[in-house]
Amino acid sequence: MPLLKIDDQEIETKAGETVLSAALRSNIAIPYYCYHPALSIVGQCRMCLVEVKGAPKPLTACSTTVTPLPPDKKIDGKYDMVVSTKSEITRRAQRSVLEFLLLNHPLDCPICDQAGECQLQEYSYTYGDPASRFDFEKVHAPKRVEIGPHVVYDGERCIKCTRCIRFCSEVTKTGELTLAERGVHTLVEAFPGRKLDNPYSVCTVDVCPVGALTSREFRFKERVWFLQSANSVCPECARGCSVRYDTYKGDVLRIVPRENPEVNAFWMCDYGRLLSERLKDIPRRDRPGIRTEKGWAFYSFEEFWPIFAKRLQASGNSPFGAVLSGRMTLEEMAAYKLLAAKVLGNSAGTALNIASGADDDLLIRRERRPNLAGARRMGIAVSEENCDVAALLKNKRRAIIIREDVVGDAPVPQRPAVVKALQETELLVVAGDAFTATAELAHVYIPLAAWHEMEGTTVNFMGQLQKTARVLLPPRNRRPFYDAVSAWLKASGEEAPEGGFPAWFAEVKKAVPELSNKSLRDLLPRGLKLSEVAP
Amino acid sequence: MAETLKILTRAVGMQNSTAIDTYMHGGGYEAMMTALHKMSPEQVLGEVKASNLKGRGGAGFPAGLKWSFLPRKREGDKQEPRKFLVCNADESEPGTFKDRLLIENDPHQILEGIIIAGWATQAAGCFFYIRGEMPQGAKIFQRAVDQAYSRGFLGKNILGSGFDFDVWVCRGAGAYICGEETALMESLEGKRGQPRIKPPFPAGYGVYGVPSNINNVETYANVPHIIKNGAEWFKAIGAPSLPGPRLYGISGHVNRPGVYELPSNTTLRELIYDFAGGILGGRPLKAVIPGGSSTPVLRADQIDVTMDVDGLKSVGTMPGSGGVIVMNDTVCMVRALHNLMEFYAHESCGQCTPCREGTHWLELLIARIEAGEGKPGDPERIAEIAGNIMGRTICPLGDAAAMPAESFVRQFKDEFDAHVKEKRCPCKATPMTSRI
Repeated sequence: MPLLKIDDQEIETKAGETVLSAALRSNIAIPYYCYHPALSIVGQCRMCLVEVKGAPKPLTACSTTVTPLPPDKKIDGKYDMVVSTKSEITRRAQRSVLEFLLLNHPLDCPICDQAGECQLQEYSYTYGDPASRFDFEKVHAPKRVEIGPHVVYDGERCIKCTRCIRFCSEVTKTGELTLAERGVHTLVEAFPGRKLDNPYSVCTVDVCPVGALTSREFRFKERVWFLQSANSVCPECARGCSVRYDTYKGDVLRIVPRENPEVNAFWMCDYGRLLSERLKDIPRRDRPGIRTEKGWAFYSFEEFWPIFAKRLQASGNSPFGAVLSGRMTLEEMAAYKLLAAKVLGNSAGTALNIASGADDDLLIRRERRPNLAGARRMGIAVSEENCDVAALLKNKRRAIIIREDVVGDAPVPQRPAVVKALQETELLVVAGDAFTATAELAHVYIPLAAWHEMEGTTVNFMGQLQKTARVLLPPRNRRPFYDAVSAWLKASGEEAPEGGFPAWFAEVKKAVPELSNKSLRDLLPRGLKLSEVAP
Repeated sequence: MAETLKILTRAVGMQNSTAIDTYMHGGGYEAMMTALHKMSPEQVLGEVKASNLKGRGGAGFPAGLKWSFLPRKREGDKQEPRKFLVCNADESEPGTFKDRLLIENDPHQILEGIIIAGWATQAAGCFFYIRGEMPQGAKIFQRAVDQAYSRGFLGKNILGSGFDFDVWVCRGAGAYICGEETALMESLEGKRGQPRIKPPFPAGYGVYGVPSNINNVETYANVPHIIKNGAEWFKAIGAPSLPGPRLYGISGHVNRPGVYELPSNTTLRELIYDFAGGILGGRPLKAVIPGGSSTPVLRADQIDVTMDVDGLKSVGTMPGSGGVIVMNDTVCMVRALHNLMEFYAHESCGQCTPCREGTHWLELLIARIEAGEGKPGDPERIAEIAGNIMGRTICPLGDAAAMPAESFVRQFKDEFDAHVKEKRCPCKATPMTSRI
């Protein structure tokens, strides 16, 4: 394989590998804008120009492949290519390209939404000149163009790297975008009569290295350096995209994809991303409650469990009908199983399979819940697609609904038959992160932490086990279902795992033998591939 | 005074010169028949290689060598790999108007060259991409193609040789950049005309991704003569570094502007003073651009060189497309450069950074100097910016814009400095409307 030398470092290259890719995997800094590992190579920005020994002019590292030289022509007797990222020629090329890029780029970083995560800022700091030599009026271009329902385009900040255009033509294959005009008036436009409205449109904002494309939902909400971030998993379909939640003062402001070749490459769909918006509309109650003839009474958790335990005892010992959800983590499922065995009269729970639409070629799955594959692995039944909840609860005097599927597209009590079935129960316990219409029908309501408020593990449709994070602290006493179960078991005089997530993860390990020798550390950052067939 | 050659331009001025009968009456299509019936593709290729025919579009790459890059049928292959020829008739370089003369006066000569090249490379057909602003030429060439089809010179099984070859005439939409070979191919495919990154070169990935060879109109026009008269005959014409007849289009301040067919060992002085009749109004010569606006400019004292590669290289310039632009002492060089830079800034496709931003910056700086608002250091900055564009872009348009900028400032530094210092033009030329 060709031997490449970059500065003082020797790199054994792979067949057909480019200088830039060899440098990136060897942690050698070469600046670039238009290059993106998932997109075709166009060599347009010229930022990655480097001096290559023997070449008459600097070459773009992104498009220059390292080809083997005949043995007698090797440089210094052994190298097939010698590249310098620090020589005067390279430095001058980098400085001049940056100067060109900034000529007509507005220097209003203080009010730019990209500030803090802008490649132009970062490279200017590292490679650029401190002062601008351009003493003319900058070229003006359209600003605040609503190029799509979720994306806003700023023609002045755009550096014409065409990553967004290539994303639309190569990844989603929808081809909405193009360059228009020529020369310094060049700008990105949607084709006439079209909008950037494909299901992955906001990924263009992710790939935009500057502030030219901004997300309509997030733009100007907060300066990025004030955001607190946590890596987690998207709960909106069976893909379970690796994501990062960005939060500020207790609110999720945006959700962005994390690179994970095993799951979602670099992308995520707009629907999953806009969960951050839908979270705002969830009706919540922070305290557990019990409904009597006089109406709802809400308690602190300390008061609640003894009262609840009594109510439970009074309700007899017929098995609970249990409706579970693919939004429960593996730990919550393990907790349910323990609860079912000890307190719920050996109830057999069924996780609802919520489905809509169709699988697409990229990420979106018809199965809309993140952890149904996990349920199957945990030995929990998964219902038919969009099954009849009324049938599941038929002839059940006692019932429990955990993490009712309401945040998405299919709340349980859509049909009168379901409402009737719920009303006919003598004891209906609803444990969930939202206080929904179903909760209103319940006799007991246990508030839970939401998906992004707890640690847990989840398995996607391909068997990838990933860890979710406690992105935000749940308000007040809301806890993951497994913690509620610990308290419940204790109140019922049973023994229960103590210590929250790690203790319950140990329970999961008991149920999934493949995990027995794995630690939580093994799950980061990309997760763990479980074997194909569920044990 | 030497005579002009009458090889490529022999039909110019002839009555009904575009008709196939006129062309064949003068011995036209004989070379094609020789090639198809008496020569193997390899022999034709060998002859063109031996002639050292260099591309006439501006870069001067040896045509035969370029043809040989196309993939050929290997032993065991059932059929010839699919490939195309492209004829670049997007003649847009400022100061260049030689291809237009050939297209409008002698289309069959070009077509014959294309068919011979098709035979030599065993291509499936040729796209004739003609500049959108030449509707007349497109019409004439299309008629020539139709006539050739009707005689069986194009289409299936040409003259019983078993060789199939088609020609399609395509019109451009008015962009200078589409004269660049890969931008032309993008445009042909109906995409935005912007150059592709190389490699892959057209011989590996050309029109519609098919291996392609692209040559200039004048290059193809030379081919029938090489086949007819032999490589030795061809090489005997002109200087060894640029053999064969060559068309020089001379414009600007000369008494007889026009296209002259000359051997390349003619000097620039002979072209200007003997053939083109000297400087308009008998005034002194100031500057000459020798090969289309992109080639570095020469001063009046640098014209005693032959117009081949070596001769022009000795004064730091190149033969380019053969478009000679002559300027007398009334021309303000700042203004002339402003004119050029306005063109390049306007025509930059905008995809790569140094050219998109650099040409615009150059235009602004030059306009400022011309308007008498130049600042000390501006001429030096022009040279520096040109240096930052040069060799840093995807396609040669960056170089094409940088070379005149750098050379104008270098060759006429006094004039640029005088503009900055005296805040006016020393040659009292009226400035172009200032854009600042």
